[in-house]
Amino acid sequence: MILLQSHSRILIETLSNRVQNLDKAVELDYNWVEFGDIRYHVQVSAKNPNVLLLSVSLPVPPPETVFVGGLPYGAIEAIKSAYGSVVQILDPPRDGFNLTLKINLAKLPTDEERKQALLMKIASVREVVLGAPLSVVLKHLLSRTVAPGLDGLLALVHRPNESFFLFPQAERVTVVYPMRFSDSVDTTYAASFLQEFVETRRTAGLTSAPVCSWSPDPPPELKEASAEPLSANAGFVSFVIYPRHVEGGKLDRTVWNLSTFYAYVSYHVKCTEAFMHTRMRRRVEGMIQVIHSLILFMFILHLFLETLIDGKLNLVFLDLP
Amino acid sequence: MQASSLRLYLTCIRNTLEAAMCLQNFPCQEVERHNKPEVELKTSAELLLNPVLICRNEAERCLIETSINSLRLSLKVKQADELENILTKKFLRFLSIRAEAFQVLRRKPIQGYDISFLVTNYNCEEMQKQKLIDFIVQFMEDIDKEISDLKMSVNTRGRLVATEFLKQFL
Repeated sequence: MILLQSHSRILIETLSNRVQNLDKAVELDYNWVEFGDIRYHVQVSAKNPNVLLLSVSLPVPPPETVFVGGLPYGAIEAIKSAYGSVVQILDPPRDGFNLTLKINLAKLPTDEERKQALLMKIASVREVVLGAPLSVVLKHLLSRTVAPGLDGLLALVHRPNESFFLFPQAERVTVVYPMRFSDSVDTTYAASFLQEFVETRRTAGLTSAPVCSWSPDPPPELKEASAEPLSANAGFVSFVIYPRHVEGGKLDRTVWNLSTFYAYVSYHVKCTEAFMHTRMRRRVEGMIQVIHSLILFMFILHLFLETLIDGKLNLVFLDLP
Repeated sequence: MQASSLRLYLTCIRNTLEAAMCLQNFPCQEVERHNKPEVELKTSAELLLNPVLICRNEAERCLIETSINSLRLSLKVKQADELENILTKKFLRFLSIRAEAFQVLRRKPIQGYDISFLVTNYNCEEMQKQKLIDFIVQFMEDIDKEISDLKMSVNTRGRLVATEFLKQFL
């Protein structure tokens, strides 16, 4: 699985399970965390088996990001338009969470395909909520305009206390990620990965992909931002998104890929580290085999020569392993 | 050019090792009934030979110190950039931790070098001198090859990850 999937596996399984056993009354109370510090809570009570309460907690936004009523800009409209009457937003949300949704499983469309699609969409609630401001900006890009009140530098949260930056214009949107890693080994792997991003984009077949660039210092678009969020030990990655990247139904996918870019790179850096370790260990095992077989060979040769010379076998053990 | 200078470097090291690896048992002069590798202690000047430093270029070198009953070989491996630096450090650390299994490896490299070997007269008796020299030279070649393989595999993975991501936008 190279790409990160937008739906939460646990959530879609819980929902499918419930939908298939709607008449059975069960008590459910699950809590779990997913990457990027998103916490979920699912509750079903036996008295109301058709109703499922889903609470979502978002990562703590850094000071430069704007949260309206505890949710990113445009989140409420996005939820209403994605889910319709099946989902109701509860105000205030559950204690410790940013959002609580009341899902009425009896109101799901009867058509199997549409029901599955809606369940998938509910399981992708993080994409809808966290990606809402990005979605608004990109929808305006489709019509070659800039959303009112959203021009200039925008900061969106993607990790606890860290954000990435959007610079919307009429014809294109520039997205800049300050890449910060806590470990020096991670930083080195990430730096080589990010160089590959820039070079791969130049290869044939990918020339219509977004323009990608990397620099160790903040790019000119970020000159208005304050100094603190601009410390990045693995440099800054910029993507320039044009209308062709969001038209033809690609909007949702683009929003997801851009929102989780840092998580994607971080995931692959960790996988590569583990792979390198395994490979090095295997090589070292191989080398140890060589020297052991050498020692064993010499030992047997000694025994053979001794027998030849003495005529009898004299087992003298030197300190062999 | 690269390959030929590697060959010359390895041949030079091999010849020096063949000359230097004339080890015989020598009980310790200072302490009764002790037998120590004299190259580690360096207490008596008459038991030590002149150390030889073989440099392939500024970044790669090999120090061979000999004494009457032991020989120490220290290598500094080429590290062109940050990535090669961490790969080399990790790989050689894995080897050094398993020094017991290798018998001729030293657990900590000498100051200023990446990895060190300690060969005593007992090692020479157990394993034939020629085979030991072959092993050490092969080891050096293997380290070089492994580091460049690892670096290439990191780059390949990076390219794959980048391609998959950018393909999503097409």
